[in-house]
Amino acid sequence: MGIYILRRMISAIAVMAMVGFFIFLLLRLAPGDPAAIIAGPTATEEMIAAIRESMGMNDPMPIQFMRWVRGILGGDFGTSIFAGRPVLELMAQRLEPTLSLSILTMILSVTAGVSFGILAAWRTGGLVDRLLTAFSALGYSIPVFVIGYFLIYFFAIRTHWLPVQGYKPIEGGLGPWFTHLILPTLALGLGFIAFIARVTRASMLEVLSEDYMRTAAAKGASSYAMLVHHALKNAGVPILTVIGISFAYMIGGVVLTETVFNIPGIGRLVVDAINNRDYPIIQSVLILTSGLYVLINLTVDLAYTLIDPRIRY
Amino acid sequence: MNFSRRELFKVGLAAGTAFSMPSILRAQAGPADARTLRMVMSGDLSVFDPIFTTADITGCHALAIYDTLFSLDSKLRPQPQMVGKWDLSDDKRTYTFELRDGLIWHDGTLVTAADCVASIRRWAQVDSGGKLIMERARDISKKDDKTFTIALKEPLGLLLDLLVQTEYYPAMMREKDAVRPATDQVTENIGSGPFKFNAALAKPGASFTYDRNENYVPRREPADGFAGGKVVKVDRAIWDNIADSQTALAALQAGEIDFLQGLPGDLYPVIESDPNLTLQILNSGGYVQCLRMNCLQKPFDNVKARQAMLHLIDQEAFLRVTASDPKFGHVVTSIFGNDGPYSNDENTGWHKKGGDPEMAKQLFREAGYAGEKVVILQPTNIASFSNASQLLADSLRKIGINVELAPSDWGGLIQRRVNKGPVESGGWSIFITDDTNVSLSSPISQIFLSANGEEGWYGWPKSEEYESLRAQWADTETFEERQALARKMQRAWWDFAGDVYLGQIVAPIARRKTLTGMIEIQSNLVPMWNIQRD
Repeated sequence: MGIYILRRMISAIAVMAMVGFFIFLLLRLAPGDPAAIIAGPTATEEMIAAIRESMGMNDPMPIQFMRWVRGILGGDFGTSIFAGRPVLELMAQRLEPTLSLSILTMILSVTAGVSFGILAAWRTGGLVDRLLTAFSALGYSIPVFVIGYFLIYFFAIRTHWLPVQGYKPIEGGLGPWFTHLILPTLALGLGFIAFIARVTRASMLEVLSEDYMRTAAAKGASSYAMLVHHALKNAGVPILTVIGISFAYMIGGVVLTETVFNIPGIGRLVVDAINNRDYPIIQSVLILTSGLYVLINLTVDLAYTLIDPRIRY
Repeated sequence: MNFSRRELFKVGLAAGTAFSMPSILRAQAGPADARTLRMVMSGDLSVFDPIFTTADITGCHALAIYDTLFSLDSKLRPQPQMVGKWDLSDDKRTYTFELRDGLIWHDGTLVTAADCVASIRRWAQVDSGGKLIMERARDISKKDDKTFTIALKEPLGLLLDLLVQTEYYPAMMREKDAVRPATDQVTENIGSGPFKFNAALAKPGASFTYDRNENYVPRREPADGFAGGKVVKVDRAIWDNIADSQTALAALQAGEIDFLQGLPGDLYPVIESDPNLTLQILNSGGYVQCLRMNCLQKPFDNVKARQAMLHLIDQEAFLRVTASDPKFGHVVTSIFGNDGPYSNDENTGWHKKGGDPEMAKQLFREAGYAGEKVVILQPTNIASFSNASQLLADSLRKIGINVELAPSDWGGLIQRRVNKGPVESGGWSIFITDDTNVSLSSPISQIFLSANGEEGWYGWPKSEEYESLRAQWADTETFEERQALARKMQRAWWDFAGDVYLGQIVAPIARRKTLTGMIEIQSNLVPMWNIQRD
């Protein structure tokens, strides 16, 4: 197991290095000039050229690349071209909102998605199953921003129950923190609830039709014991895979949700950086995101061993 | 699996608690403090040095924290601001400025004449008006701690206008900041203006906080444009960066913010239908949209092809796609914009018939147009420019022009527009941009209004006749003489068709009705003094 984890960690570093190289190259090849954006819409060519020179952007690309790599190896992810602050500092400022939103969404999605899936499988073909199937189809097909605006309209503008936008740090109290995250979590989570519920239902149905389930029923096992102890455990591997995939996809969904609900997280940071061509931020966020993807996959793979003892690495 | 009644009761209780939770938390979503102003500005503040960029959002930041020697009043005339007294020598070659009492930097030190001299020199490195002052200046130096002089080689009647009608905000900074080259951003936001930048609460990309400068001594005159007394009536102003317009509007409706700039026109009806909100025009001049043609390459290297564009463009049609409501869009035919001191109707016959595609077609024929590709740079992330680009492409196709739209975001466009080469080498033919209507009154500093070829702004129009007239501008002594000169310049400009205007668009801001005292002036910069929340 230890060697397996070590091997995966080494491959993660290789993946991050390749991502870094390609992102660096793509950003330089893509149209857009941060100096021109900084200088403003009516700046002259001379002013833009002077800014470009002062920022070292006229250096040959290999020199810029080596400078960047040297920095990363030394723990320095660079300085934002626009904000003039270290990228790590900016990312640290944005991490809490994104983590808060992601973790709350994951808790909601897994809890509700797995419960709904079990319920639908248990009452397959019945009213509950049909309602949950319809809910899943809706949740999966309505874009996050539509759900977001809908929630804002009813719960913030019409009723004033919840705030429209923004984020309050957890250090300012659990109440404001949680209040500001309810609507974004619901908006982001609905699609994942639907996704997890559908996969859970399908996996559960497959397991529920197995002979050993019929045997358990014949022996008088309760519905709860059958569903949770026998069926869910055996249906767990695909569900866990889907949860892992959902978490990885969530990184993309977070960008949109953070924009709709004006949450100053990593997603917003990278979108603003792309618009401004703030290369150091884009590069750093994408490298760390790729590392996160690898980590999520590794965690899911290791979690398989917990629910299925036959799996060994 | 069966549920007992007790279990159902528990579930019901839990659901009831969950559903009542928002009402428990409602108080936490209440409006902001009465002495705190919450604003959403147009754009994200990412550059803080006003000498480093012409971006409006940086100008707004500078307006809050930096003071200026002179300020524009609502009639666009220069009025003393930091200057207490000023004097012009009899030979009209030496200006003497004395700073008024009570000027203190945010770090507590006194504002001195040396600070102002260094600030003028830094600003003049980048601003066209400033460059002209430096060309004409024999010496700029301090006389004592409160007095400095600008000694000129020859009289420059426009000097005070040049100090206020600027591309770059003429911020007065501490000498230690102002000695930096203009290409090296200042690292501290220390000014002497009515607001102090709260660096501790700065969250780049999210929000910036400005606190009332309790040491600021306003002038005694009432506020008038950027001039007069800058009396701050709130303790704090917070700029929230809400990227999504729909969310910003919802926040305004819910009372989470008080002021919203840059709202798309299709959302105006929502504001108008909300009894708590209102639209207000702060900048009655708005913007003028301008179509820049690459005068170095075919087909627009030929004056006939450029004139064809003048005849082709039906501004009213363009305004229908760029200004959401007819009351916010106006036709503009003078190169000096609408309702400005130098606006005139000289040589505007091309406009009388509105769009005239047949005439345009004939002029393209006379220009020897032979099917060359016309590439229009289309910035897809700026709806107004993007829509206008599409309409333009359609108008050109209808008269047989081989048009290709080159979509990209604005960042991509501003990189490509530098290319002076033919479209086959990554060049371009047309792009659409804008500038404020008021800036068109100043042909010295306004970038569209130069025709010095490759030394000028993108599009690089060239006319020696026009440039010789423009060169006379700074030395024309009286207003009437400048008006006459303006007519001659306009005649020359529309003859060689340096660019084409697509119309004037006035964009109102949206605010809660509880917000009062907003200052109206023809500028995109929003003053935060004088505003109060009832």
